[in-house]
Amino acid sequence: MLDVALVSLIQDMSEKAGVEGTIQYWARVGDSLAKRMGKEAYMGWPSFNVALREGRTAFSIEGEVTALTDLAITDADGDVVGYIYALKECVFVPTILRIRYSVGEVPKADQAVAEEYNSSIRDTAVCNFCVIHQRFREEVSKNITIGEQPLECSQLAARGFTGDTKIAEDSLRTIGINPEYVRSLLRNYACVYAILMKGARLRGEEVEE
Amino acid sequence: MSDNNDDQKPTTTYLIDDNPLVDVAAYLFLEDIADKQGAAGMNTYLMSLATSLAKSMPEEEYSTWDDFLDALKKGESIISSFEVVKTRTENCMITQECPFARGWMEYTKRIGSFSAVHYDVADYYNSNVKPGTINTACIIHQTFRSAAAERIKVAGKTIKYAQIAAVWGDGVKKIAPDEWLPILLNKAKITRTELNMILRNNADIFVLYIE
Repeated sequence: MLDVALVSLIQDMSEKAGVEGTIQYWARVGDSLAKRMGKEAYMGWPSFNVALREGRTAFSIEGEVTALTDLAITDADGDVVGYIYALKECVFVPTILRIRYSVGEVPKADQAVAEEYNSSIRDTAVCNFCVIHQRFREEVSKNITIGEQPLECSQLAARGFTGDTKIAEDSLRTIGINPEYVRSLLRNYACVYAILMKGARLRGEEVEE
Repeated sequence: MSDNNDDQKPTTTYLIDDNPLVDVAAYLFLEDIADKQGAAGMNTYLMSLATSLAKSMPEEEYSTWDDFLDALKKGESIISSFEVVKTRTENCMITQECPFARGWMEYTKRIGSFSAVHYDVADYYNSNVKPGTINTACIIHQTFRSAAAERIKVAGKTIKYAQIAAVWGDGVKKIAPDEWLPILLNKAKITRTELNMILRNNADIFVLYIE
């Protein structure tokens, strides 16, 4: 019920304060959620991936996340500096269904917030909720270390409830993954992102230079 | 006395589980508003939010009270859109599980203690609006039920709602004030002892009636 009420609040806020205000609220919530979930430390990628599979990391709050261990991200020296991760179901889907069966229609502010985010911040959102959970992942990554090195998260692709997709081709180029491969991942997953060592010297970046 | 009758069992199937991230984020969203607007501003926001949610849902009309109770039990009424509502008597309604409890449990599991602001705003509501809430979730819930009831007519009359008692996930109870309780129990057609029995394993008790 809280989620459905929240969507109604977003419509209300967007009408009164504009969609920019809603984006700012969501960004602060993403920061606050990540900050309050605390820090984590792992010895290596295998221990992080096991913790993820067992639902022990902050990332697990989003639902069933799979570490695609066949998609290792390597740096210019060929060392593994990260992996690609995929969320099975968008966190917003149950809310969309609950709205469908209680209120009837998702408020227009949902898409208005996503469009504003895409044009003013980054072209990766398929619904208003992408704003918070993409920001949440970025912030939570900063609180996690693997082998004492901090992480960073990069949004790669998302599929919305109606089948629309957003693929961050620039980010994919940087980590050296073919966008068409990620597009095929969206057949089975709703959201795809990379977690990697902060500041890693990636192959794609060298090619760009 | 029929809250465990077989005819009320199938009603649980229509509910769709929410996602923990959305629920926890929603609580943090409310905390962010409270930081900026204080308890009074937050309370106004919550009440307006719940009222607008109810108003966005279709109105209802029923020929008889039994028709309404039937829709309520099947999850077809606004009042039972987000939770399973059982009937103890024809006017006494019970919910076993609060729809906000899952989010609270995820919050306490993943973040820690529930922020004090959720209780501070409820104190404000209890002293300035109506006594009966434990935290911010109760403000949304009770305001929503009240606004939803105004959208339902039975035999041409608008139904009325009054909260009798609420029990939160940690066992904290909030019962209607002593001066109101006999009247509410009378409308609900239950005794004080029955109320205490119901409170053992339920989340909310409220009365729906027409005058």
